[in-house]
Amino acid sequence: MEVFKLLKELKSNLELEVHYLPKENGLSLIESTTIGHGNGVSAKGRDDQVEDLWSLTSFFGYSTQTFVLAVNLLDRFLAMMKVQSKHLACLSIGCLHIAVRVTEEECNVSSSHELIRISQSKFTVSDLSRMEKIISEKLNFQFKAVTALTFLHLYHAIALSHKSNRKDFLNLEKLEAQLKACLCRIVFSKAKPSVLALSLLMLEIEALQSADLLEIAHRIQAHLKISKADLAHWRGLVDQCMREYSSPECAKPDHKKLMWIVSRRTAQNLHSNYRCIPELPTIPEGAWDESESEDSSEDLSSGEESLSSSLGSDAEGLYFPSNFRSRACRP
Amino acid sequence: MSAISAAEKVDGFTRKSVRKAQRQRVQGSSQFAVNSSRPAAPEISALPQLKDASSTEQHALFMQKLQQCCVIFDFYDTVTDLKCKETKRATLTELVDYVSTNRGVLVEPVYPEITNMVSTNIFRTLPPSENPDFDPEEDEPTLEASWPHMQLVYEFFLRFLENPDFQPSTAKRYIDQKFVLQLLELFDSEDPREREFLKTILHRIYGKFLGLRAFIRKQINNLFLRYLYETEHFNGVAEFLEILGSIINGFALPLKAEHKQFLMKILIPLHTAKGLALFHAQLAYCVVQFLEKDPTLTEVVVRGLLKFWPKTCSQKEVMFLGEIEEILDVIEPTQFKKIQEPLFKQISKCVASPHFQVAERALYFWNNEYILSLIEENNGKILPIMFGNLYRISKEHWNPTIVALVYNVLKTLMEMNSKLFDELTASYKSDRQREKKKEQEREELWRKLDELRLQGTSAIQNNRHEMQFTYSNKNNNNNLHKDENTAAAITDRSESDTWAE
Repeated sequence: MEVFKLLKELKSNLELEVHYLPKENGLSLIESTTIGHGNGVSAKGRDDQVEDLWSLTSFFGYSTQTFVLAVNLLDRFLAMMKVQSKHLACLSIGCLHIAVRVTEEECNVSSSHELIRISQSKFTVSDLSRMEKIISEKLNFQFKAVTALTFLHLYHAIALSHKSNRKDFLNLEKLEAQLKACLCRIVFSKAKPSVLALSLLMLEIEALQSADLLEIAHRIQAHLKISKADLAHWRGLVDQCMREYSSPECAKPDHKKLMWIVSRRTAQNLHSNYRCIPELPTIPEGAWDESESEDSSEDLSSGEESLSSSLGSDAEGLYFPSNFRSRACRP
Repeated sequence: MSAISAAEKVDGFTRKSVRKAQRQRVQGSSQFAVNSSRPAAPEISALPQLKDASSTEQHALFMQKLQQCCVIFDFYDTVTDLKCKETKRATLTELVDYVSTNRGVLVEPVYPEITNMVSTNIFRTLPPSENPDFDPEEDEPTLEASWPHMQLVYEFFLRFLENPDFQPSTAKRYIDQKFVLQLLELFDSEDPREREFLKTILHRIYGKFLGLRAFIRKQINNLFLRYLYETEHFNGVAEFLEILGSIINGFALPLKAEHKQFLMKILIPLHTAKGLALFHAQLAYCVVQFLEKDPTLTEVVVRGLLKFWPKTCSQKEVMFLGEIEEILDVIEPTQFKKIQEPLFKQISKCVASPHFQVAERALYFWNNEYILSLIEENNGKILPIMFGNLYRISKEHWNPTIVALVYNVLKTLMEMNSKLFDELTASYKSDRQREKKKEQEREELWRKLDELRLQGTSAIQNNRHEMQFTYSNKNNNNNLHKDENTAAAITDRSESDTWAE
């Protein structure tokens, strides 16, 4: 039975997942680091960087797998090595580049140069390749990580293979997006991937209110021997994260300012005299304007009339005042 | 000298180098023919200085000098009358000084003399342009030949108007509608210095002569309409708009219906003029002033601009985008909500434009903090409109600068509302997949039809005398030739159904 195979796969992944967990004390250290010059990487620094990674992943069209792997590499590295905050950008792009090469097809891999240009990073291509080498060495080239995404896919496959009459639809893409939102917070890197994935699954099932799926989820929990306490703990945190993710309030982007580079021509255009302040002083309109007008007989109460009558109407009105004097041109 | 032909214009290399070789063009004249022989102008002899005259004599001397300056000289002839020209010039300079520095010189009899002298010197029929292909942006303008005198006449008139003793009630008998009309027509002069003076003079006249205001506005409207719908030629549009800017700035609230009509029937259609580049800055200023006076006009203005959005001229598109940004800078959030959808549909198209300047200008809106805050407030409506094009061009655009800017915009939008962004990404991807699938199916269908055609041809050759058998009723592929029935029978029913749809 297919389900049997999937459950076996689950078990084997469960055994592997510990190998790819970032060290907990390392992560705690980051969480406790305050933001400051010369200090190490802080939680906010890491979170902001991961958000940038997500922007890049999305922009280049890479898969969620790439992103999740990149974050995994980043967290593992940060948990084991002391990194200065100024190197964080290079480190994260390095992780992303490695993840891209591992996951994506070769034709879709963008060059280092393009990555650096789009991310508006300050380091060079050689910096990046050096960093990638360091990452690879420190992580022992263990790139095929077992992540929460692995488990999500397996859970989804299991749920699908149980053909129930009601056909409750578990949207994998939605789950992936939620996972991505969670990964943007360092607290979730401490969770076991299997537990994290299961928390997400259960929250979604609750939203769908499907008893069938709930049963499947419980079976998975039993199979993997995940404790109720653990699950409850992470479910709570995930729930809160999802609330913030779904809230209609906008998060004001307060990270580093983006550079807006335009071509020379456009730059010239922008600086041109669009904001020119006219030299002529304002002439206030007075209420008495019209009454003093010599041609008040053809005055314009309705604009429509005035414009149509003004076209070629030389005969009307007091065009030439009664005291008009002809001006003979004197030689 | 020859005008630059249209062919030479297209080839960008000839202009500057050729122009230096040409001597400076001079504006034609309706009063003097170039290089004609004519009787010499009457001699004018220098009169005594005003400053030397006693106070009783000064007035009479002033009048005399004014009358003297009514003699006009031929500046095309650079040889004759040199002494007299100099005399006139010196006299004019003296008059300028006299009227600027002295009080009590503007007595009533002086007014008609002054207006007469000014009219004589400046009012003339402007000749047709020397250069019919005159491109105001590229070519040097044709200058007025008699500028040495004319400049001083203008200067004098301006000082006269600005003199503290100037009485509009007296002057209005002489500076009347006919005078103003002739003044307005001079705005078509090609000489920018002349237009500059005219602009200031008209501004002062409008300010001081309340009775002439309606007339001036009406005549300017006439000239604009004639420019826009009849001649497509008028050199003074920018100057008029500058004056109108200062007038609009002074409008009383609530705005009169006449002014609103002016906005809708004249200012907005002016955006369609071919020569927009020459006066766009002033036009945009006028429009923005209107909106600052009465924000409820926002909707009609923006819809008007969208209606006239340039479809083939990228330069104009960039200008329009600049104007939109200026409008958005002053827009009220409630008004923004009314126009956001049609506006951003247009911006979305601009962002995807293959012309890099248009795309850049549109993308740069996201660098404007106030616009960003407006987008943020309404991101639920705006994000779906912008997303498709942004995402597509991030993959497809040829220009790397644009790609980098698109990243900035996408990143900003992503941070505004992650959930919506993710949803849009997912639906975009699934749409793309569906399209791809359809494309593949279509290709497959054509391929099969190709095969059928080949099969059918050979079938005709082989089965010439075979009886045709009827179609199945459900097969509605009318275009297939009856001889290809054998092959048609094996056509997949679903394919033919899709094809017939």
